[in-house]
Amino acid sequence: MSTTSPGLLGRTVADPVGRLGLAVSAVLAVLVVTPMVGLVASTLRPTGREAWSDVLTGRLSTSLFWEPLGNSLLVGAVTAAGSVLLGGGLAWLVVMTDAPWRKTIALLATVPFALPSFALALAWETVFRNDLVGGRAGVLADLGVAVPDWIAWGPVPVAATLIAHYFSLSFLLAAAALATVNGELMEAAEMTGATRLQVARSITLPVVTPALVSGALLAFAEGVSNFASPALLGLPVRFQTLSTRLYGAITTGQVERGYVLALLLVGVAATILFASNRIVSGRRSFATIGGKGGRRAVIRLGRSRGPLTALAFALCLSTSVLPGLILLASSFARRTNSFTGGFTTHFWVGESDPSIAQGQRGVLLDPLIIDATLTTVGLGLSVAVGATLLGTAVGYVVVRLRGLAPVTGSLTLLSYLPFLIPGIALGAAFIAQFGRPIGPVPALYGTFALLVIAGIAATLPFAAQAGRSAIGQISRDVEEAAVVAGAGLARRGGRIVLPLASRGLLAGASLVFVNIVRDLSLMVLLVTPALPLLSVLTYRYASEGFAQFANAVTVLIVLLSVGATVLARRLEGPNQPWREAAS
Amino acid sequence: MTGIRVSGLRKEFAPSGTVAVDGVDLEVPTGAFLVLLGPSGCGKTTTLRMLAGLEDPTGGEIRFGETVVAGAGTVVPPGRRDAGLVFQSYALWPHMTVRANVEWPLTIARMPAAQRRERIAEVLDLLAIGELADRYPGEISGGQQQRVAIARMIAPNPSVLLFDEPLSNLDAKLRAETRTELLRVHRATGATSVFVTHDQIEAMTMATHVALMRDGRVEQFGTPAELLADPATDFVATFMGTPAANVLDAVARDGRLTAGDTDLGAAGAVADGTAVRAMYRPESLRLGTGPGPVLHTVFAEVTPLAGRMVVTGVHGDDRISVVLDERPEATHGDPLPVVLPACPDRVFDAATGRRIAS
Repeated sequence: MSTTSPGLLGRTVADPVGRLGLAVSAVLAVLVVTPMVGLVASTLRPTGREAWSDVLTGRLSTSLFWEPLGNSLLVGAVTAAGSVLLGGGLAWLVVMTDAPWRKTIALLATVPFALPSFALALAWETVFRNDLVGGRAGVLADLGVAVPDWIAWGPVPVAATLIAHYFSLSFLLAAAALATVNGELMEAAEMTGATRLQVARSITLPVVTPALVSGALLAFAEGVSNFASPALLGLPVRFQTLSTRLYGAITTGQVERGYVLALLLVGVAATILFASNRIVSGRRSFATIGGKGGRRAVIRLGRSRGPLTALAFALCLSTSVLPGLILLASSFARRTNSFTGGFTTHFWVGESDPSIAQGQRGVLLDPLIIDATLTTVGLGLSVAVGATLLGTAVGYVVVRLRGLAPVTGSLTLLSYLPFLIPGIALGAAFIAQFGRPIGPVPALYGTFALLVIAGIAATLPFAAQAGRSAIGQISRDVEEAAVVAGAGLARRGGRIVLPLASRGLLAGASLVFVNIVRDLSLMVLLVTPALPLLSVLTYRYASEGFAQFANAVTVLIVLLSVGATVLARRLEGPNQPWREAAS
Repeated sequence: MTGIRVSGLRKEFAPSGTVAVDGVDLEVPTGAFLVLLGPSGCGKTTTLRMLAGLEDPTGGEIRFGETVVAGAGTVVPPGRRDAGLVFQSYALWPHMTVRANVEWPLTIARMPAAQRRERIAEVLDLLAIGELADRYPGEISGGQQQRVAIARMIAPNPSVLLFDEPLSNLDAKLRAETRTELLRVHRATGATSVFVTHDQIEAMTMATHVALMRDGRVEQFGTPAELLADPATDFVATFMGTPAANVLDAVARDGRLTAGDTDLGAAGAVADGTAVRAMYRPESLRLGTGPGPVLHTVFAEVTPLAGRMVVTGVHGDDRISVVLDERPEATHGDPLPVVLPACPDRVFDAATGRRIAS
């Protein structure tokens, strides 16, 4: 790989950090490169080559690829536009103005991104589902409201639920960008006598444009490749996107077509994210110079203060608290998606009753759900530990290894790569590579190990980023003081680096845990009935019409995610007494 | 042209109740160069921001010429004060070229395009940055950014120029050059300037007037020479001058001033039992054992300064500087007897810091 020249190899091996770098590179290669190689290789065999022509030029290519591609791009574009508009506007309100309860709004605005994306789709379905595709209609229809098809199914609800999920991400990016804008920039404009509108249009907006653009493209890429929303709200009316087509192909045995679609999906998503990178890094950096720039110019909203705040609360509540309540309430509904037919705890704690839901027990008593919960938590913890260890090693090597750019460069690239691969395509790649035995390694398909490996690969970008920033905050001097005292790499790692970085790493680990617990798109292809996961069960229940069970399990997932986040915040506090002293 | 009159200016920050500026009075004639000097947190930047209109005073009045720009219910917004401000961070708009940065305020002021072009060329020329016109702020050096910030400020021809520690991000050499440059710009525009800094050398070289601030109040207001020659308080004495004046803690007893076991001379007007601070200029002291009162210090270090030697000795907690022509033959820890003049240059009341007439 990066070590072809003997000089470089020699120097790398001579340095303990270099040896660590080589080891980590090897692990990353197995995790990230081999699945993609397997995916490509599978499509180059004769049956695979046939699949390429089927998908791209064949008689079915329109319905296999081109139409889903168009739908994916449409959904992505609308998601991007909506997310940036809502997220950016909210960020402006929170960071720049004197709106009341800004902290509460900021907190609420980050909630939707912490929810599983299928939670919003399920909530939408619960409310707006109509009788177009049979099965139980939603709450509104139950109340006698005729819900038009375009609101119940297809691109509009898919995009709406994705916007409700991803505006949260745009908000975070835009708010961070606005917060770093030197307040003096706005004051300098104010000194010229410019009006508020002129300042906003000519100064503030252009300065945060890079953040808005990257937020938009991120939402675009996510929207293009999201699986849950189109699967729940589009598939029933044959509104296909690349993700659902890929899922459909693999689950119906047309694996080669699935692999080809996976590669095409990777191509589309990677192109968008690559473009985003280019646009953002190609622009002049607007990082502002230090000094007393901390001052924020507070924009007085005047008479629009009330209405704008109300609007912000409405947006945040309708994308976080409201869907949660709808899911919770509907899991208690006696009749599916009906708030008028009475409530029951049957779907939570009921014993088997052949007349309800084919005799399934309530989720808290169902051994399948209990098994799935344990597997989900076990998987989340394993992946969190594995990804964090690996991410820390990557971060350590990238931050500390000096003068060996090829090693650090390849590590950075490898750890970023999974970010370009949509979850469902990564899942397909893992099936393609590890679905059959390779030499002495048995087929991993259907094993817990495969789920862990795939989970680590998928969350590596977060974990490596967390590792990098946690290590980067430890001054080199602190470690060099230990080197001078005679401590080797292992001892420094255990006694200096890990304790100092633990807060950041724990935060990173909890993010990884939450990501795995609420993941659907990666695991939906990898999971087998013997290894149930909560999110995949939710999806099965939802597609089979057991709305109460689906919603109840989603509530469980949300509780797990929120619990993990809160626990991590608690844990990281008291363990580091020196934090208080230092700051 | 516009002088500045500030009376009873006060600023209290709302939730914390911190009083940043507490009753400041200033009178700056048209075309003067006022330096607001003082340690960090003394309220100088807050005062400047109130002059600019970026903070509203909670009390007092600011007049530009005859116009009340802040006070008694009137607050003129920053853009209508005919004032320009250079920020500590320069605050150049990063997405605009140098030319666009200078042009934007003119556009806002509705200057016709042809006139704008002319004015831009003029100010870029004045600051000698014409060749940078099409660059972005991120592509030029700190010193060049500084010049762009000044060009942007003076382009609309404001009658009041405000500077918020504009030199603090420059290295020493560039800082000295830019001081000269700023004075040139000040003279070229003829505008009244207010300049905030914590560096007394900047104050000495540029100011026609200095207001030395401390804890939100003006400790002394006058010309640089007045502050040096006639410090009103011991704080002024120890803040100004290179090196700053020496101050010894002493007490009046039986008509004499004594610092520890050293007799400093007749107490004069100082009442018996009063704790005082006796000020000695470094150039009033010499090394030796007499004649006159001798202070027994311990040699600490020598700093060469403009061809002369600043010798520092330690006496208890005080550091005593003496200016000599030759480096003394002493090493660290050697006794360093310092001969004091017959009486201190100034005597301040230790409790109030105010000067005691002698």
